[in-house]
Amino acid sequence: MRSGPANINVDDTVLVEQCQKGDSAATERLILKYQNRIYNVILKICANPDDAAELTQETFVKIIERIDGFEGRSSFYTWAFRIAVNLTLNYCQRNVRLGLVSLDADSSEHGENATQSLKEFLSDEKSPDPVRVAQNKELCEIAVKLLMKLDDAQRAVVVLRDIEGMSYAHIAKVLDIELGTVRSRLSRARSNLRDLMEAIL
Amino acid sequence: MKVNPNIDELLNSFIDGELTEREQTRVQGMIANDAQVAQRLVELQKCKTLVESLPRAEAPSEVLEQVKAMVERRTLLGEQSASFEASEGARHLLLRKVVAAAAMIGLVFVLGVVIYTIVVPTGSTERMVAVGHIEPDVRTGAVEPTTGLVAAAGFRGRLELKTDTLTAIDAFIKRAIEDNGLSDCLSPQGLEGKGVYSLSCSRDRLNLLLADLGNIWRKFDSATLFVETEQFAEQIVVDAVTVEQTVDIVNQDSREASLALAKDCALLNTMVASMPGRQIMTAIDEVKIDLVDIPKPVLTGSEKGLRKPADTVSEGPQASLTIVLVGSE
Repeated sequence: MRSGPANINVDDTVLVEQCQKGDSAATERLILKYQNRIYNVILKICANPDDAAELTQETFVKIIERIDGFEGRSSFYTWAFRIAVNLTLNYCQRNVRLGLVSLDADSSEHGENATQSLKEFLSDEKSPDPVRVAQNKELCEIAVKLLMKLDDAQRAVVVLRDIEGMSYAHIAKVLDIELGTVRSRLSRARSNLRDLMEAIL
Repeated sequence: MKVNPNIDELLNSFIDGELTEREQTRVQGMIANDAQVAQRLVELQKCKTLVESLPRAEAPSEVLEQVKAMVERRTLLGEQSASFEASEGARHLLLRKVVAAAAMIGLVFVLGVVIYTIVVPTGSTERMVAVGHIEPDVRTGAVEPTTGLVAAAGFRGRLELKTDTLTAIDAFIKRAIEDNGLSDCLSPQGLEGKGVYSLSCSRDRLNLLLADLGNIWRKFDSATLFVETEQFAEQIVVDAVTVEQTVDIVNQDSREASLALAKDCALLNTMVASMPGRQIMTAIDEVKIDLVDIPKPVLTGSEKGLRKPADTVSEGPQASLTIVLVGSE
């Protein structure tokens, strides 16, 4: 089961205070506690493992550098993810400017098996079992590619909600946007994903 | 199916459990009553499931060590940078201080030169004082100056007067010297073509002579006053000098004041000479200069003008003036 933000914050406050006092062990604990989650979110947004590792490191370095100025107005969890997502979105925008990301939707890039898997997934009238979907490699590859076809802002909302499991309120704080914007952006993102899936078929 | 964004938002919020209880009830009613809404719910649910099902990736094991290394490196670089910036800053500050100090010294030097130029005249400001031996009178006990004692040096100068009526003017000057009782102060040096009268007397007596010369000043083709400075062979030359200017220069309280006034007069007269029509001179002539009120002698005839008798003139500060009379060619 995924650990929610509320459970994390209890220990975070103590760890952050210890970090601010220069306790390197507390800093290490914070890194170890969040490194996988932050890396996972970054990877799902940028889709490049090497870049995701680098961005994760950069996120923690920034956290350590700025920890003295952290006043606790938001939770450490929110603050840390804000740094991570901002760094990643900046990276994505830089790559778009440099032409490193292709935005073209092309059904021919998916194999026949993947297309068939997607067809079965969509035609199943029962609610799909997430575990079974996760075991379907072709479907996962399609999901990653479709995510990358969303614009950065929509992808970030989807990842924070469906990968990290954040509430709308948390997403609003992390992205520094209105709650209504989160709602509408997420709705458009899922609608776009649905359209992209149908486009493949 | 036509997509309704508002319904999509409601359905997505329903899927994510972000609706209030009342909204959830409303959506459930819609789903139950509308097959299209129910189908759309499934479609959106599948989108969520597809993303949700993506495998969780674990951060590379070296993240922690890499972060530590990066922090250490940046701290080191930051300290070095701070140290470098501090030393650079110190050097820059020192340089600024040196430049400021140099600028101040330069400014003080320039100001000093300017002030020295203004305050100190061309020559030395110290008065020359001849010191003599003074002995009290054995009978009366009074102290009298010896013949060798000279008062603090006053005005010293030469007045060159050019005229085409040399003989008449020469005769007038000789008579004026005699009338004013200045014969004792005179050491005439006759030169060919010019009369030279070296007078060393009190300024008051000299004023009387100048007053007489004022009556015939217009008969001079030119009048030039040479005021001696303390510097050897250095003089201030006042061309086209008027008798009023001459009297004023001679009667200054100190030699410095005489020199300063002579400089001003020289400059003024030069400017006037360079002006077409000599408008300035006209203007100056209209202004009554605060000069010593000199009784005017009469040039010709047996009648004498009203003037102060020589014997009533008090002995004031000493002045030395050489009048050089030159015939015009």
